[in-house]
Amino acid sequence: MRLSGGLSSRGGRLSGRLSGTLSGRLSGRTERIAGWCRAHPDALIITGLVLLVVAVQGVNIANFPTVSDDEGTYLAQAWAIQHGKGLAHYSYWYDHPPLGWIQIAALSWLPEMFDHGSMVVMHARVIMLPVSAISSALVYVLCRRLGMARWAAALGVVVYGLSPLSVTMQREIYLDNFAVVWMVAAFVLALSPRRHLWHHVAAGFCAAAAILSKETMLVVAPALLWAVWQGSDKATRKFSLTGFLSTAGLVIAQYPLYALLKGELFAGAGHNSLFGAISYQLGRKGGGNIFQKGSVSNLTLHWWLVRDPVLMYAGTAAVFAALVVRRLRPVALAGVILVVVGSRPSGYLPAMYVIQAIPFFAVCIAGLVDEGMRVLMLERTREWLRRFWRWEVPWRRIDVAALSGVVAVGLIAPVWQTGDATADTAFANDQYAQASAWIREHVPDRAHTRIVVDDAMWPDLADQGFQPGLGVIWFYKVDLDPAVTRTLPRGWRDIDYVVSTTVIRQDPNGLPTVRQAMEHSATVATFGSADQRIDILKVEK
Amino acid sequence: MFSTFIVAFSFVQFGVAAFTLWWMLHAWRTPETLASTRFTVPDGDCGLSFSLLVPARHEQEVLDHTVSRLLESTHTDYEVLVIVGHDDPDTAAVAHALAERAPDRVRVVTDHHEKKNKPKALNNALPHCRGEVVGVFDAEDQVHPELLAHVDHAFRSCDADVVQGGVQLINYHSSWYSLRNCLEYFFWFRSRLHLHASKGFIPLGGNTVFVKTDLLRANDGWDQECLAEDCDLGVRLSSQGAKVVVAYDSEMVTREETPGSVVALMKQRTRWNQGFLQVLRKKDWRRLPSRRQRLLARYTLMTPFFQAFSGILVLLGFAVALIAHVPVGVALIAFLPALPMTATFLFEAVGLHDFGRQYELPVTFRHYVKLIVGGPLYQLILAWAALRAVWREFRGRKDWELTKHVGAHLAVEAEAVA
Repeated sequence: MRLSGGLSSRGGRLSGRLSGTLSGRLSGRTERIAGWCRAHPDALIITGLVLLVVAVQGVNIANFPTVSDDEGTYLAQAWAIQHGKGLAHYSYWYDHPPLGWIQIAALSWLPEMFDHGSMVVMHARVIMLPVSAISSALVYVLCRRLGMARWAAALGVVVYGLSPLSVTMQREIYLDNFAVVWMVAAFVLALSPRRHLWHHVAAGFCAAAAILSKETMLVVAPALLWAVWQGSDKATRKFSLTGFLSTAGLVIAQYPLYALLKGELFAGAGHNSLFGAISYQLGRKGGGNIFQKGSVSNLTLHWWLVRDPVLMYAGTAAVFAALVVRRLRPVALAGVILVVVGSRPSGYLPAMYVIQAIPFFAVCIAGLVDEGMRVLMLERTREWLRRFWRWEVPWRRIDVAALSGVVAVGLIAPVWQTGDATADTAFANDQYAQASAWIREHVPDRAHTRIVVDDAMWPDLADQGFQPGLGVIWFYKVDLDPAVTRTLPRGWRDIDYVVSTTVIRQDPNGLPTVRQAMEHSATVATFGSADQRIDILKVEK
Repeated sequence: MFSTFIVAFSFVQFGVAAFTLWWMLHAWRTPETLASTRFTVPDGDCGLSFSLLVPARHEQEVLDHTVSRLLESTHTDYEVLVIVGHDDPDTAAVAHALAERAPDRVRVVTDHHEKKNKPKALNNALPHCRGEVVGVFDAEDQVHPELLAHVDHAFRSCDADVVQGGVQLINYHSSWYSLRNCLEYFFWFRSRLHLHASKGFIPLGGNTVFVKTDLLRANDGWDQECLAEDCDLGVRLSSQGAKVVVAYDSEMVTREETPGSVVALMKQRTRWNQGFLQVLRKKDWRRLPSRRQRLLARYTLMTPFFQAFSGILVLLGFAVALIAHVPVGVALIAFLPALPMTATFLFEAVGLHDFGRQYELPVTFRHYVKLIVGGPLYQLILAWAALRAVWREFRGRKDWELTKHVGAHLAVEAEAVA
């Protein structure tokens, strides 16, 4: 991959000088490897950084953070694809475009290579490591293509991959993580130094893949369009923009086309529909004002701030500030759009929303530091400073770097160290694993038992031999999916067990059958305590 | 079984459409590619001498204007050879008048063949050429006065054997099909030919083409039996490894007009298609050195036939996918060829915009609508011409259906100037 012309030629001259002094001592093969490393310093840095990010994110990946219901849902939908049962484990209702879990399904061979433990979702998280690895590498390339120095690009990757918030969120099987890879790739291609039409077409394809992985990425599209504008030459811009827009548009169009071919584009009685789902998602009850204490959105924000205040505050400030720097503007705009959309007063703000903003936060932070350094090193700046200081200020690059390094380590490292240590050592999912193990041991006739669970548990029990869909039932579907309700003619009496977890107890949709089943049951086992408790309830008929 | 067929067919169609689109956009790949498609600025030297051949047949209305323009050339060392038929006194009269007016520049060569065609006319004049380079123009061409100086420079600076200049149909306003026809030329000379030049396989154009006289004589000139003698010459020279340079400057292009009616367009297209078929059957392209070049040659010579039916076949594919109850996945794949085809339409619209900009011609919303709506109809004409070509070749009919020229592009020129 070519990064930028000017910098690589400088590296070439340097390596020429080095090879002259070293070649005498090194033998053929070592010399070749050393030569390659000198010729590709960026590749070397990327490899090191990616290994570091993967190591920090990979340790204890199964046990922290708590398994979320959404991860289970996506995994279950990927399971459906893998087993040729269509796009979802229940009927597909256009909740999200399916590309995200198609990618999860494509990566599902990965967890099987490792120890297949008691909890499917926990162990499936391994698939997020290659995703993080690719996105980290892409963040580096994006930084370089924005004209940053190597150290600044490395800083960008460190912020992107090692912030405790990233370590927590990027581990989870969220569609947003897949969408981010594609979106960062789109920016990388849009800003290709060769300004090749093919790269801009590929950027359009990546943008479409990002949006089909997680539809909310659509809001970033204007910023990406700006990047293509900036990344193309005046002479060929018309064609670049057409290539970008038509590719993106035509690939995305496959999704409504799919709905149309299935007769599910328009809302109507008796079937799911794309338009119906869109109007549901847009009309979803907002989480209240994000800045108002006690609102749901504020709780989400608070949770992000607890994980990493540095990234949240510095990132938000950086995306606005970076609008001043010409080369950073498109990326900054992407961040600004996400911040503005996230803080709109009445919108629904899912916990994983922040994942989409993290790369733009990281790149803008690194970009501003890079720009700051550049300005500081200008002769003009020194002259200007001399007006206030009587003595000379002959700082060199290394002095500034050392000073900022000390400041960064002193201020940020303790916060991140604590956060990452929690991520790498805490056990948040023990109760899930124990509950799953208990069921395996104590429920004998699994093929004919009907058990209501949340989606985090669903893939596990499907794996244990319960009948997927109608034997092990995702609790939402008991009351909301006619195809499931039809199989429960006697209502709660047709249910044998309920595995009660936090999501089910919150009962957000007022599910009467599930509630009745829980009321008419006895607790046979309990794992964990307080809010995170899991009760296994046996229905008494 | 049925589904497998649809899937395989759709993938092939997708590939054909995507490749064609990609090649169509060759010149705009990078700003550097676009810059390299232009003539380099000449150094002012006139190092080579030119013999310009102008075959004219029943073209007394436009010939005088064309040759007069040629005589305005800034180059110092060239001659014009007008080739007229022995049975065409009107054109011959105009030609002789021109020769009298500029005796040191213009000569008239009379073609005595019973059955006349363009390659015969050109071969007739080849022995009379005194220049080091032979250039071909049609009787209705509008040639820029500085073209020769640029071509001269291109020959010397690139050490070229052949230089192909741009040709552009210009009367886009005349009718719905002329708009598409103009745009076809635009994409071909502006972009696609440069790809062929860089890959070392090029079907040359019929005019504004310049070849070293020695090379031409060594190859016995043009193939008199071939209906696409220009394409054939390009293929033969390519397979010998001749260096071909293509240059396109909107200022420097030779301006032409579209055929006067749909029937004339179809006849012209039939001739070209049949010519392509003949070149394909002559198998000179098999001597191209690399496999990729041979593949490109085979594909390019067969393109009219692919293209002609792709539109119809794709529509058929949609219909089958919708009517026959195939799985949704298969139906989606059946729609796959529509992606590059839709993109092609969009790029054509962008091309039209660029065409208007470069030639300073008013392109309005009406023209874009014409372009899009006319697309399928134009496709039908092409399909019919392809069928006719195959039929004629199969029946062994190889006579020359000439396109008549009325000078519509001259009016556009006048409008643009005014």
